[in-house]
Amino acid sequence: MKEELDSQLSAMFDDELPAGECELLARRLSRDEQLKARWGRYAVIGAAIRAERGVRLNARVASRVSVVMRAEPALAAGGVSRPGGARWLRPLAGAALAAGVAAVSILVLRAQAPQGTAIVVAPPVAVNTPRAAAPAARAASAAMSGAPGYVVPPVQRGAGAAVPAAELANYVVAHSMYSPPMTRGTLLSSFITSESGGAGAATPVSIEVLTDPPGDAPSHPQ
Amino acid sequence: MGADESDLSLVRRVQRGDKGAFDALVLKYQHKLVKLVMRYVRNPAEAEDIAQEAFIKAYRALPQFRGDSAFYTWLYRIAINTAKNAVVSRDRSPIEYNVDRNSDESYEMQGRMKDSETPEGLVLTDEIRSIVNAAIDGLPEDLRTAIVLRELEGLSYEEIAAAMDCPVGTVRSRIFRAREAIDRRLREVFEGGLGRAEELG
Repeated sequence: MKEELDSQLSAMFDDELPAGECELLARRLSRDEQLKARWGRYAVIGAAIRAERGVRLNARVASRVSVVMRAEPALAAGGVSRPGGARWLRPLAGAALAAGVAAVSILVLRAQAPQGTAIVVAPPVAVNTPRAAAPAARAASAAMSGAPGYVVPPVQRGAGAAVPAAELANYVVAHSMYSPPMTRGTLLSSFITSESGGAGAATPVSIEVLTDPPGDAPSHPQ
Repeated sequence: MGADESDLSLVRRVQRGDKGAFDALVLKYQHKLVKLVMRYVRNPAEAEDIAQEAFIKAYRALPQFRGDSAFYTWLYRIAINTAKNAVVSRDRSPIEYNVDRNSDESYEMQGRMKDSETPEGLVLTDEIRSIVNAAIDGLPEDLRTAIVLRELEGLSYEEIAAAMDCPVGTVRSRIFRAREAIDRRLREVFEGGLGRAEELG
């Protein structure tokens, strides 16, 4: 019985033991000091046969590591954690949460808005202002003593803000200055088209600003 | 049986919180790691320090080890990086000894001084080697061939079986019996004769 165990140990040392037996023997090896000492001597025998130059066969690395290990916490029970996976999931989860909040806000405001009024909805997401913030946003952030780096634009509650055409035009022009060139052209031309097409007509213009490019976008001009 | 299965079974135990299993991994690889680090530093004591650091780093990083590569390959990379960092930081640190480091003679002398700090260690290493060599010389031919093919040439049991024209089970038995014979001599000398058994491994 003992010889069979030692024979298994020798085979395991050479990585020649079947996986199932390895599991059982690994468990025993980690607890049985005599077995561990024998395992260590197998390593010494191998190093001596290879006559590894400069390597001290009485190396105390194992005993020193063992001393340090006493102060180390045991690794988490329950197997391997995958911090790599969690790391890339975290920003996605944040983005999904922000998008969800924005979508809910839009739906709520839409439901509350009376028909035929222009609604300007500011996304209720934190906008990082310092990099390319609009003057208005910068002023707003300067005014805020609590969190100078971030501005959460106030959302107008109750009935959607009815914006007169001239004010709306000013808003679109001002906003387009901070939009990427492609979007800027589309935004202005669609506004002009809708204005000219509806000239004389009583149909109010409805513009929904759903999202601004994060970071680069100004906070909602007040 | 799969490649690296024995290491993996120990690794999995460590990952589940069994620190004792890590001792077995350290015992198995300490000499290989010191030998590896000796490519970067000349001094055995410094190489052992670096190997120790590499093992501790490996332990702390073990939750991230998924077994995509062999454990030793992974450990090998950690040891190489630790050795390189140690060499860089040593070269940047202020010189503490009062000798001209640019002089080959004084640099060589410094190496000798460090080696002479552990004469007992060197003597013991020589003793262990001579015991093992004597024990191998005393082995029957088939046991000696099997253990040498395994330890010196690094052949698998299957390759040894092909070389020796015998079943794999016989190879396993021969290698085990060879180890037992050598181990018996080691224990006799160190436990009975010198009382230094605790210094082995």
